[in-house]
Amino acid sequence: MNLSWHQLAWKETRRRPMRAGITLTGIAVAVAALASLLSFQRGYRRGLGLELDRLGAHVLVVPKGCPFDAASIALHGANWPCYLRGAYLDEVRSIPGVATAAPALMGAFPKSDGTQTVVVGATEDLLALKPGWRIEGRFPTATNEVLLGADVARKLARKTGDSAMFEDLPGPRRIAGVLEPTGGADDGFVFLPLATAQRDLRHEETLTHILVRLRDPGQLDDAVNRLRGCNAGMDMNIVPLTHLFRTIQGMMGATQVWMACVAFVALLAAGAGVSNAVLMAVVERTREIGVLRALGASPGDVFRLFWMESLVLCTAGAVTGLLVAAAASHWVESWLRERLPFSPTDTLVRLEPGVALLCLGSALTLGSLAGFLPAWRASRLSPREAIRAPSGT
Amino acid sequence: MNPSKSSQPSAPVVIARGLSKSYPRGSVTVAALRNASFEVGPSEFVAIVGPSGSGKSTLLNLLGCMDAPTSGTLQLDGQDVSQLADSGRTRLRRDRLGFVFQHFGLVPTLSVAENVALPAFFARRSDPKRVDELLERVGLSSRRHHRPHELSGGEMQRAAIARALMNRPILLLADEPTGNLDSQTGSSILELFRELNADGLTLIVVTHNPSLASAAGRRLEIQDGVLISSTPGSPPKPHGPR
Repeated sequence: MNLSWHQLAWKETRRRPMRAGITLTGIAVAVAALASLLSFQRGYRRGLGLELDRLGAHVLVVPKGCPFDAASIALHGANWPCYLRGAYLDEVRSIPGVATAAPALMGAFPKSDGTQTVVVGATEDLLALKPGWRIEGRFPTATNEVLLGADVARKLARKTGDSAMFEDLPGPRRIAGVLEPTGGADDGFVFLPLATAQRDLRHEETLTHILVRLRDPGQLDDAVNRLRGCNAGMDMNIVPLTHLFRTIQGMMGATQVWMACVAFVALLAAGAGVSNAVLMAVVERTREIGVLRALGASPGDVFRLFWMESLVLCTAGAVTGLLVAAAASHWVESWLRERLPFSPTDTLVRLEPGVALLCLGSALTLGSLAGFLPAWRASRLSPREAIRAPSGT
Repeated sequence: MNPSKSSQPSAPVVIARGLSKSYPRGSVTVAALRNASFEVGPSEFVAIVGPSGSGKSTLLNLLGCMDAPTSGTLQLDGQDVSQLADSGRTRLRRDRLGFVFQHFGLVPTLSVAENVALPAFFARRSDPKRVDELLERVGLSSRRHHRPHELSGGEMQRAAIARALMNRPILLLADEPTGNLDSQTGSSILELFRELNADGLTLIVVTHNPSLASAAGRRLEIQDGVLISSTPGSPPKPHGPR
C-alpha cells in the first residue's frame, strides 16, 4: 500500500466525525456566503452593463421624478406615472451632438396570471440604437403592424406574416417582424408604430421617454448640460446612463461592502474553528505524536501531518460550500430580486470558475494559517514527554 | 533476521559508559539514572528489571534516542549518539531502532497494513512486499485491512511488533510489551520475541513480567537509578506474564 500525507490527514477526519463535520460545515457556510456574494457582485455588474448596452442610448430623457425608477421602467417595461410632451422631441433633436433621438411610449397591461403585456410605441429611429437586433421581417410601419419580442412570439406561437389578437389592443395585428432573442427585456415587448401606440394607449402627442445616442460619447457632459439648459429642460429629467450605472453600482457597493465584511468575519470564525479543532486533536493525540516520533517521524513530519489535516478540512469545507453555493444560486437570486429596488434581467448569481478558484484559494490560505499554530505546537513536543501523555482516544 | 548494518558483526550493538540522566523537578534536580555502564552484544536478549520509578524507562528512552544523556557516552552500532542533535536522533530511531510499547501505539484510523508501513513512509520509502512479509511473520495476513479496534490485544501487539521491524532495525526496544495482555497472550508475544531473537535480532525489554525477564539471556537490574546487577536469565517460572 502507498501511504500519502493527504491520505493520512483525510483518514484522521474519521476519528472524530462529529467534530470534523461541524468544523467542515463552518468552512462550507463561510465559503458558500463568499462565493454567492462574489458571484452576485460580478453578475450584477455584468447584468447592469449589458442591460444599459442593450438600451443602446447614452442618455435617457424621462419625465420629472426619480431617475432610477424611470430607468428601471424603461429597461424592464411598466406603466409610467407621468409623460413627456411629444414636442420636446424636436428640442432634444436640435441639441448639438445628438446623433439620434428615438421617442418611445410605453404601456403595460397586467394579465390574470401575473404576467403583463408591455407595448412600446417607437419609430424606426430605434433601430439606430439597437445594432444588435436581428429581425426576422421588418420594423412595423403600418397602423395595424407589430414587431414581437422573441419570448412573446414563442408564447403566442406566431411568426412573421401571421396575424394575432392582443387582449388589450383593438383589432387584429399583422406581425411585420419577430426579434431574435436578445437576452434582455426587449424579448418580452410588443413594438408598435409610435402613432398607433399613442392612439391605442390614448396618449396622443405624448411620450414616456426618449433614448438619445450622441455622436461622441466623450462629449456626454456637454450634451447633458445643453439638454438640461434647453427650453424643455425644466420639464425633463436628463439621465446620463454611464452616471446612472456608476450611481447604481455605488449604491450597491455600500451593501456589498457590508456583505463582504459579514463573509469575511464568517471566514475568520471558521478559520478559528479549524485552528481550535486541530489544537484539540494535538492535545488528544499527544501520546500518538510521541509514538510517531519514536517510529522516526521528524518534527517536520509531525508539522506536515497536522498542517495537512487543517488543509484537508478547509479544502473539503470549501468544496462543499461551493457545491452548496452552486445548488442554491437560483434560490439566492430569487431572494435577492425580491429585495433589490433595481435588478437587471440577466442572471445575477452564477458561480463561475474564477470565483470558485478564488474561494478555494481563500480556503486554502485560511487552512494554512489556521493549521500553522497547532502544527507548530505538535512539532515542538518532546518525544519523551509526548509518549508519557495519557491516551486521548 | 538481523539486518545489522555494522561492518563488525561481533562488536557490541550497545556500549554505555557512565550514562546518567537528571531532570529538573521544580527547584530540585532528580537523578533518574546514575553512572550506568554496560554492553549489549549482537543477537542478545536483555531484560531491564527493577521496581517502578527505578529508572528503567529513563534508560530505555536513552537507548532509544528519545532523550539525550546528561553525562556519559552511549554508542549504538558503533556510533556515538550521546551528543547527537534531535535530527540525528530522529534518523537513528527511524533507520536502526524498533519500538514496541505497552499501549501498542497503533494509529486507530489506519489499517493494520498501513500501521506497519508507517516507519517506511517516514523514511520516504514504500515497501509493500516487506509489509506482506512481516504480516505473514506475525500471523496477521488475514487481518491486514482491519483497523486496530477490530483486533484483540495480542493481535494489536503483533501488529506493533511488525511495525517495529519494518525498517530492519539493529535493535528492538520494548517497554512492558506484555503489560496489557492476559497471560496466554503474553506467552505468545514472548514466544514471538524468542523467535525474533533466535533469528538474530538484538532485543532489550523493560519488564515487570518474571517470565519475560527469565526468558531473556541477561537481566540488567536497576534500583534507584543505579544499575545494580547484570545476571544471566533463568528458565521461566510457572506463573504467567503480566
